[in-house]
Amino acid sequence: MNLLVIRSIEARILMGITMFVGIMILVGWVAINEEARMQAFVRQHTGRSIERGAELYASLCSECHGEDGYGAGDRAPGLNNPHLFGFDPVGEQTVAITTANRTLVRLTEDTEKLLAEFTAAENPPGADRQDEILAQLDELEAQIAEQQAQIDTAVAERVAVLETLDTAVDNGLFPLWDSVVDIETTGDDEVEIFFNSNGTRLTQVGWAGDLHGYIVTTLIHGRPGSARVYPNSTGMAAWSQTAGGPLRQDQIEDLAAYIINWDKGANWTSEDFLAVAQYGKPLADGSLPSEPPPPPAGDNVAGILARWAEMEIVGSPATGELLYDAEFGCTDCHRNGASAPDTVGTVARIRTERLTLPQFASYTIEEYIVESITRPGDFVVDGYSSGLMPANFGARMTDQQLADIVAYLLTQA
Amino acid sequence: MSILPFPSFLDDVKEKGFKKAVFEGIDDSVERLTAGLNVQDLREAFRGENPSRRPNPRLTPHADGFWLHMRPSYFNRDVTGMYPSFRLGWLSTYFVFFETITGILLMLWYTPSPEIAYGDMLTILSNVPLGQLMRDMHRLGAEFMVAVVALHMMRTWITGSYKKPRQFTWFSGLLLLVLTGFLSFSGYLLPWDQLSLWAVTIGASMAEATPVVGDQVNLLLRGAPELGANGLLRFYLLHVLALPALLFVMTGVHYYKVIIHGHSLPPQRENIGEDSAKRVPLDRRVYFVPDVLTNEMMWLGAVTFIITVLCIWFYHAPLENHADPQVTPLGTTAPWYFLWIQGALKLGDKFVWGVAFPSIALGALALLPYLDVTPSRRYAHRRFMLTLAMLLVSATTILSYMGLAKFAVQTSAETEIVHELTFEPAHSKVGTGRTIPFDQMIVGAYTTAQLHGHEDMSAAELIAEINAETQANGQFAQMLDELKNQHVSANQLPLRFRTIPVDEAPKLLQVMEEFEHHLAQEPVELPNVWGALVITDNQAGLKRLDWVVSWDSVLIEGGEVMMDEAGEPIINYASEEMPMLDAAGELMLDDDGAPMMQVLPMLDEAGNPIPERRIFSDHLFIHQESAYFD
Repeated sequence: MNLLVIRSIEARILMGITMFVGIMILVGWVAINEEARMQAFVRQHTGRSIERGAELYASLCSECHGEDGYGAGDRAPGLNNPHLFGFDPVGEQTVAITTANRTLVRLTEDTEKLLAEFTAAENPPGADRQDEILAQLDELEAQIAEQQAQIDTAVAERVAVLETLDTAVDNGLFPLWDSVVDIETTGDDEVEIFFNSNGTRLTQVGWAGDLHGYIVTTLIHGRPGSARVYPNSTGMAAWSQTAGGPLRQDQIEDLAAYIINWDKGANWTSEDFLAVAQYGKPLADGSLPSEPPPPPAGDNVAGILARWAEMEIVGSPATGELLYDAEFGCTDCHRNGASAPDTVGTVARIRTERLTLPQFASYTIEEYIVESITRPGDFVVDGYSSGLMPANFGARMTDQQLADIVAYLLTQA
Repeated sequence: MSILPFPSFLDDVKEKGFKKAVFEGIDDSVERLTAGLNVQDLREAFRGENPSRRPNPRLTPHADGFWLHMRPSYFNRDVTGMYPSFRLGWLSTYFVFFETITGILLMLWYTPSPEIAYGDMLTILSNVPLGQLMRDMHRLGAEFMVAVVALHMMRTWITGSYKKPRQFTWFSGLLLLVLTGFLSFSGYLLPWDQLSLWAVTIGASMAEATPVVGDQVNLLLRGAPELGANGLLRFYLLHVLALPALLFVMTGVHYYKVIIHGHSLPPQRENIGEDSAKRVPLDRRVYFVPDVLTNEMMWLGAVTFIITVLCIWFYHAPLENHADPQVTPLGTTAPWYFLWIQGALKLGDKFVWGVAFPSIALGALALLPYLDVTPSRRYAHRRFMLTLAMLLVSATTILSYMGLAKFAVQTSAETEIVHELTFEPAHSKVGTGRTIPFDQMIVGAYTTAQLHGHEDMSAAELIAEINAETQANGQFAQMLDELKNQHVSANQLPLRFRTIPVDEAPKLLQVMEEFEHHLAQEPVELPNVWGALVITDNQAGLKRLDWVVSWDSVLIEGGEVMMDEAGEPIINYASEEMPMLDAAGELMLDDDGAPMMQVLPMLDEAGNPIPERRIFSDHLFIHQESAYFD
């Protein structure tokens, strides 16, 4: 029973050599196709990264930045936004004006040179030369007039384009536009300077890196100042784990890939400006809020409850519901009981299941809720992962907001 | 009397003087290194003189050297064919070296850190020429190695080769089997994707059931209560350092015992109770050089060739999404070779089935040659042991089947069905919902109700009727609410269902039919069910697919649908809070003057209670480049 064993030694050697040559041919064949395979893998991986980013965006970002990326409810700027991607609606005209201006400078210099030669005291030109100079001057004059006409056309076009963007400007595109520039009277240089520092989001905030870096760093550290410029915003949170948020670096990259996928590159048009609900605002316009924001509640449970009693802070369940559902996104997890305890039945559950535990013996329901929100890590209900609930709600909520949410939860019998 | 408590070089110096001791020491070392030639012999050999010592020392390296005598110089013809070894022992050794080489190549691009490891996998796949091939080969080799080693053990059992004098060979082989399993298992975690994290979490959690020290063992293994940076580092060190070191040592021991006792002959070629492996008659000898050597070189080429072909066209090592301790994928299982333990765990107590049972099973295997001491290796005389072997194979197969996620794990029907359509690529499978070609994902809302089979109506008429019905009973509005909750843009919400575009999107139709088929399998848990697929545009080249299931809620306790006395499922009826009225029709007020409320079932116009309508949805995004449908 010597199956599969080749008797003759020559045949074995031949077979072995064939196999080794076969391996080399196969590996060589794989090797020459590697470049294409690796590129295909990169494309596929980018696609899947965008998919994961879309998922994160929908659940974490769409509340403020809008499901379509146009910005929502005076909370945060649109990201599906030509201004962010550096599209200049009047770029073509600005280039035309700049080029024409440069040509004008050259023509004027030429004219001055000829005039100087014509009127020179020493070594005046001969009669033939004089005629030649006069002819050249005529030609230059015509060229100057032509360039001037081109500038006028481009300026008019630019005005026309900018007029179509009125709604977008009202929504915050080109902030400070009205205070700095009057499109009819301001000189081209000033307009150019304005666009140089306001034409894209990156120049507006003075970002020295690229767009990807801008998006990634913003995701990492959040936007501490945004609560001051967006009336309904509580400030963009720091999303990265590096800065105490919930997302890993690869998730941050997925989100960035998704946002950058909005870029239409050369296909942006000035119409795209009109779809955006609100634009990024310059943070450094010098203005300060009229009164300082109220301090956050913190995570000292006894202190919070004492303050409420002392300052007579009473929560409103209706406001609380809004905060709970939208502002702080609690319902994103606290629904169905899948990833966190269900919102429905909170009070009953606390009374019958939690407060009966020895460590909560002296607690009131209110105290239990406040502790759960501000110090989520202190006690995690069996069956749910620890560390899932952000630990920074105490720092993000004011006393009033916390009281509103508690009042709302107390209605969830 | 020695100077030190053991004989040493210093004793030689004391005895012979320093110079002589040094020269003799050098001579001795050279003779050991050359396996028989001292400095004088070497000098003579290089000068071309005749050897001054007799017998000729130049022959001793050939006659006694270790490296040249790793393999026996001849074998019995009966053990050089396929039977009785099936080359399984040789293949196991082959895979030890194969895995070492491919593993070292992969180590060049790998860092055992949760922040970097997954990115390294992507780099290997996207930026290292032949990186994917190396990874596939390493992974496939590992799977083969476990299988081959296990089969090798079964073969030894069946031919009775563990019997005297090879009892310890069997025991060392069993240790190698365990080491192979752990090696493969420890490598599982390294890519740091969802598959590895959860498979290893399940595997490692078995250690927790060990009595008394369970928590400590678990902590030692994982480096922290949850698998993290330390756990990954520990598994990496186990995988590349501790376990291979043990494996190499044990391989040496095992191989030494094999050579010492010779390869056991086929049972029928020996007299009962006799071990004649070392006495090879001249006419049955097959010499290592050239016959066995060429044979093995040929096999080396053939096996490598087969693995290369498999890894180019038929097998790619899986890589799922980045590991996320907070997202437990549905249907997580241990690696296939540990499935039998996972299956056993479903039988009852974690300690009994997760720790005691595997330990006793392995212990019994280790003791096998000492328990089965009957002298005969003939098959006819070993009916009990052969039956036991078959029972072991059957039990392992059945337990492994029980270890699969689909066996005795309760998940609600709607979750299961939607998961079946949407799951991410895993174990070379992918949810069929992801395989719709991008250009066939035509924006719109489609419902499985269209496929209920009304052959007397055209699809358009049927959809018109479905639309009228779901708009009237509020089920469509309920779906829109659910979509809004799931952050579908208000601009994109569908106005009504549309017919499935059969001609433009045959695959879409196929997926909807599968959806309908799954839903129809659950008439008890999902009464009056319909499913919907809502496709919306999200970005250029990116679509969003929302999968919705809508059904009449039934009472479920402990994962089982509750039945009434007639054997019908108990329906949950919708209820609402109404103010209480007294006999005169006036509002009843409580002590604070607020109206008193009571919960009443909602009734339809005919006065029948309305079943509570439940809705479930999940969604996925598909990018046109992500190529699930290739």
